[in-house]
Amino acid sequence: MKYTVPVIMCLLLLPSLSKGQDWVVPEERKGRLSTFPFTEETRKEGERLYNINCLSCHGTPGKNNSIALVPPPGDPATEKIQRNSDGEIFHKVTVGRGQMPSFRSVMSAEEIWKTVSYIRSFNRDYVQRVMQIITSSAYPGAQISLSMAYLEAERQVIVRAMATDEEKSVPVTNAGVRLFASRYFGALAVDEEKLTDKNGVAAFVIPAGLPGDTAGNVSISARFTDEEVFGSVTRDTVIQAGLKNRAGSLVAQRAMWNSVRKAPLWVILSYGIGVLAVWGFILLVMLKLRDIYTVGSALRGNLRPASDQEPTNKQEAI
Amino acid sequence: MDETRFNTPGEQRKIDSIAADILKNVRINRSFILWMGFLSTVLVLCLAAYVIQLREGLGVTGMRDFTSWGMYIANFVFFVATSLVGMLISSVLGLIGYQWVKPISRIAEIIAIAFAAVAGLVIISDMGRPDRLPYVFMYGRVQSPILWDVTVVTTYFVLSLLLWFFPMVPDLAISKSRLEGRPAFLVKAYDILSFRWEHHEVQYRIMKQAIRILLILIIPTAFAIHTVTSWLFAVTPRTGWDSTIFGPYFISGAFVSGTAALIIAIYFFRVNYKLQKYLTDDTFDKIARVLVLVSIVYFYFNLNEFLVPGYKLKTGDAIHLRELFTGHYAPLFWTIQLGGLIIPVILLLFKKMRRPLPMLIISLFVLCGAWLKRYIIVVPPQAHPNLPIQNVPVEWVIYKPTLIEIAVTVASIILVLIIITILSKLFPVIPIWEMAEEENEKDKPFDKQ
Ligand code: HEC
Repeated sequence: MKYTVPVIMCLLLLPSLSKGQDWVVPEERKGRLSTFPFTEETRKEGERLYNINCLSCHGTPGKNNSIALVPPPGDPATEKIQRNSDGEIFHKVTVGRGQMPSFRSVMSAEEIWKTVSYIRSFNRDYVQRVMQIITSSAYPGAQISLSMAYLEAERQVIVRAMATDEEKSVPVTNAGVRLFASRYFGALAVDEEKLTDKNGVAAFVIPAGLPGDTAGNVSISARFTDEEVFGSVTRDTVIQAGLKNRAGSLVAQRAMWNSVRKAPLWVILSYGIGVLAVWGFILLVMLKLRDIYTVGSALRGNLRPASDQEPTNKQEAI
Repeated sequence: MDETRFNTPGEQRKIDSIAADILKNVRINRSFILWMGFLSTVLVLCLAAYVIQLREGLGVTGMRDFTSWGMYIANFVFFVATSLVGMLISSVLGLIGYQWVKPISRIAEIIAIAFAAVAGLVIISDMGRPDRLPYVFMYGRVQSPILWDVTVVTTYFVLSLLLWFFPMVPDLAISKSRLEGRPAFLVKAYDILSFRWEHHEVQYRIMKQAIRILLILIIPTAFAIHTVTSWLFAVTPRTGWDSTIFGPYFISGAFVSGTAALIIAIYFFRVNYKLQKYLTDDTFDKIARVLVLVSIVYFYFNLNEFLVPGYKLKTGDAIHLRELFTGHYAPLFWTIQLGGLIIPVILLLFKKMRRPLPMLIISLFVLCGAWLKRYIIVVPPQAHPNLPIQNVPVEWVIYKPTLIEIAVTVASIILVLIIITILSKLFPVIPIWEMAEEENEKDKPFDKQ
């Protein structure tokens, strides 16, 4: 019994210790595979995505120039990252840990897989395994698709999920669907997760204050919550459901940060008047030198001999 | 002949004797050439360092991402500060009517000219691409305190130059015929620059008008020059600079360093130029009192600057003040505050200390303290970036000026000395005609008796 406390302490410490070392991915996530084969095209797109999202920390693959964080991000071209299975990389990028951000709401599953495609291009021994059933495990053999419609009066977006194979098309029921509006940084979840009804339909309410672009357009996308089951199907569309963004250009008006022509009037006036006044007086003072000179010339010409000092000196000498 | 001054034999004699005392130093002699040779040699060596900086870029300095304003800017602030003494002596004290400032006002203007002129150059030394300097004027944004600074430093320089020159016109006229054995160019220059001065009352009236305008004009300009310099810091939200009293804090500090520089200069001229008759013990006593006064004002602003944030201890302020009071900068901070401010004030309260030699030593401490104080104002607040950054190299965090930076800074100080030397060696350092007038006034009651 006397060991109870230390044992409990050790047990409590264990998770925090292990956190610094191994990054354990849940068993069922490890085996996850891309739904499409990696090609030159996906690699290229992945490179673009990598450069935007990952390069700042992980550096250029193969250069070993990832930034110094603890734990280190690591170079994707090295064993540290390549020993991960595809599913492990996908999971780690999706959920993140510590300083490694979660990209769940920044990148779609497809984009993350493309990034993986780029990372794998640095591994010559890599052989890709593609997810065999590209579509869904719930509707074997069927192609699952989402369609969307916007009901302006109700401010509702209706998402409809259908599973289609050679013969027929049936609604996908009881599937969790989520709706996102794209923002500057990542995607913003709109309304809550909905389950599709017996017609395969889920309805989302667009909140009244959702900001759109200058025309009030918002670009939204729907996807299944459980992409393992239904596949990573997304549907994007643009609806006119947002507030019109009326914020003008930041450099349209006079402002402190603008160029000199659009400086605030009070600054131009204070500076201008101050400088003109002081330099005006300076000019005035300089002109006085001319006055002194004129007076002196007049004196020399009329009243006195050319040099005033010598006579007085002589006078003194006498 | 009532309308011209200094035309009686008695006055002429006075002028003669004063001019002889003062003009004996206006000559290009061996010690002048040796001294200038020494200064030029050091200057060339230091400029070699600047050439390296010009070629390699600012990477050769200790400035990095954290501390991007280092010794150069500290030195700049110090120069601008010190140049303010011209305004303090000639304008503030002169307009009040103190007679004892007359013999030292020209020396004060020389200091103002030298420091203001070189302050502008110091800024250029802080530029990685000095070739882009014209852009300031081509695309200058009036919203930027940097443009205001360029404007007021230039204006102050011109005003100081005029305030040095105008009262000297009669002296040039007096001196031009008393320059036997001096180079011809100097005699010629005196003749041209005396603008046909005939000591006529009309001319005196015009000159006094001009001087009066300048004396008034230079007060707001001088306040502007150093307030704007303080705004370069205070308009940023950075802890340690984000202060509403930075303007008066800088100005009061400027009076301290300027007065100290002036005391050192007049000590030097008194001893080397043998001008004990004009730069008297009484002059020193008076200016010591000025130093005490401005130091106490400065102390008061120090109290505000540190006590108020020190009482609230907002996170950033707490870090900053701890660094200054007990941390990395504590030895420097307390040396400056005690050795450059508090102890000098206490010492100068004693009459024995208000004599030339002790004052020279005290002023040297005050001046060094003033320089280091600018360093402490500029550098430490930058050690803590506004946004957290991790795992940065040590040399980003801790700023240490490099040899090149020190050499370029020495070059700027040498330049100041060169300007002071030239102005004080080629032109009279004490206004001859004002001294003669003063003696006249002293004589008057005597005459009546
Ligand atoms: C803000 C910096 C940062 C960014 C941006 C970032 N990472 Fe990371 N990444 C890290 C850090 C730090 C770790 C180590 C985390 C740990 O072990 O706790 C890491 C770990 C990883 C790992 C796991 C490495 C291992 O040891 O198993 C992978 C895979 C990964 N990142 C991929 C990516 C990808 C792909 C992107 C871009 C979509 C990305 N990272 C963007 C900082 C970053």
